[in-house]
Amino acid sequence: MSPSKADAPRNLFRAIFTDLHFWIPLIVLLAGLVLLDKLR
Amino acid sequence: MPATRLRSLQALGIFCGFAAGAWLGGAEAPIKLVNPDISPITVSLIMVFGVFLARWSVPAFIRGTSHVHSDVRQAPHLIVWAVLAGCMWAVANTLTIYAIRNVGLSIAFPLWNTNSLLGIFWGFLLFNELHYAGWKRWLGVLGGAACMFYGAALLAIASAHQAAPGKATAGILAALGAGILWGTMYIPYRKAYLTGMNPLSFITFFTVGELATMTVLAIAYRGATPLWHELIGAKSVMFWLMLGGFVWVLGDLFQQYATKYVGISRGIPLSNTNQLWGLLWGIFVFHELRGGSHTIYVQVAGGSLLMALGALSIALSSATAREHSSWQDAADREGNRYGIEHEYVRAGMEGRAYGGISTGRSFVDWLLILVTTVMFAILAFMAKLPHMDIALGWAAALTIAMLALLATCGIALWRTTRFR
Repeated sequence: MSPSKADAPRNLFRAIFTDLHFWIPLIVLLAGLVLLDKLR
Repeated sequence: MPATRLRSLQALGIFCGFAAGAWLGGAEAPIKLVNPDISPITVSLIMVFGVFLARWSVPAFIRGTSHVHSDVRQAPHLIVWAVLAGCMWAVANTLTIYAIRNVGLSIAFPLWNTNSLLGIFWGFLLFNELHYAGWKRWLGVLGGAACMFYGAALLAIASAHQAAPGKATAGILAALGAGILWGTMYIPYRKAYLTGMNPLSFITFFTVGELATMTVLAIAYRGATPLWHELIGAKSVMFWLMLGGFVWVLGDLFQQYATKYVGISRGIPLSNTNQLWGLLWGIFVFHELRGGSHTIYVQVAGGSLLMALGALSIALSSATAREHSSWQDAADREGNRYGIEHEYVRAGMEGRAYGGISTGRSFVDWLLILVTTVMFAILAFMAKLPHMDIALGWAAALTIAMLALLATCGIALWRTTRFR
């Protein structure tokens, strides 16, 4: 496997985790779960 | 993109938005046949089983899963986005159950319908939607969404049957929470379609998040053993619930294509016309407003008219070539961030073929279709039709209207994009 291929998953996750667009839905999802837990 | 191609894709997206409304609204019909004694969480879980089967078998039937594999190779990061969106859907759907229980449908429905306003906000802020659109289009989209919001409020008030006093704050919070979750869920949707992913591929991973979250929530809230007993006890209505899930998936698929071709700012408000279709089923097939007061009928007529005018206003505010070029800027940004081939992104946006993907269905595709068909056949055999006053003539008429929309929109999608 070439170095670029081996680095591909790591680069992919780095791109996702440094993307603001990923954190907005994730934070909303976590807040939704907290709300759901409070409403139970 | 040539101007004629842009126009035809915009018209297709708007058509998909209206078809989505019909099928999402029609999904409520089978659920009305179910005994209200079953817990809402269990109802939701069984529906999601139907949704899961549909989300794998429908793509297998339409294009074959080889296309899903090909899409994932091009844009593997979208698996994460799709699963995240599926988790959000499941939590939002569970919140709506609490909202209806605490404040009734009349207050809950308009509150969670604010998802379209949030969709417009995210579309503008993150994906360059409505940029360079001009004040007429801004007015058309925002005015249309506001009209639909007020129309939805009127319809919900007219069709309200229950309202539990004393738990207003919890109910309002649950409804607003559902609206925020659904409105934000469109970020992953738009992300996927700007990057060129096919809606048929996106939904197969979306449903993994949906089913996993719903299963965890159901076990956590009901307990594994009571849940199992409740599922066994519900076998006579499983068919109707899973059918509701299946119908819902067809509506959601049209919603995904609408999001892809006209963006979230237009696609989501248009598919929110589902409330109108739900009301048509309720009034004509299940006689829900029989004997209602004059005020109720005025509210229904006014609410329906407002929703129709709002949808028309949005439908007439499609993106211009200049606005579309700013969508392409957002698409290029996504392509660069995730290292996706430029040609793949452009081909996806223009609804045309990319690369030499093998066509046809594999053994796995036929197996998925067969398993789904057999499961529905077995459940249909076990199903019982409850003793209800149902207007079968109206049910047939509405079903024919939905099938006509399915066929015409399906043909339009096939002719214009080959379901890309």
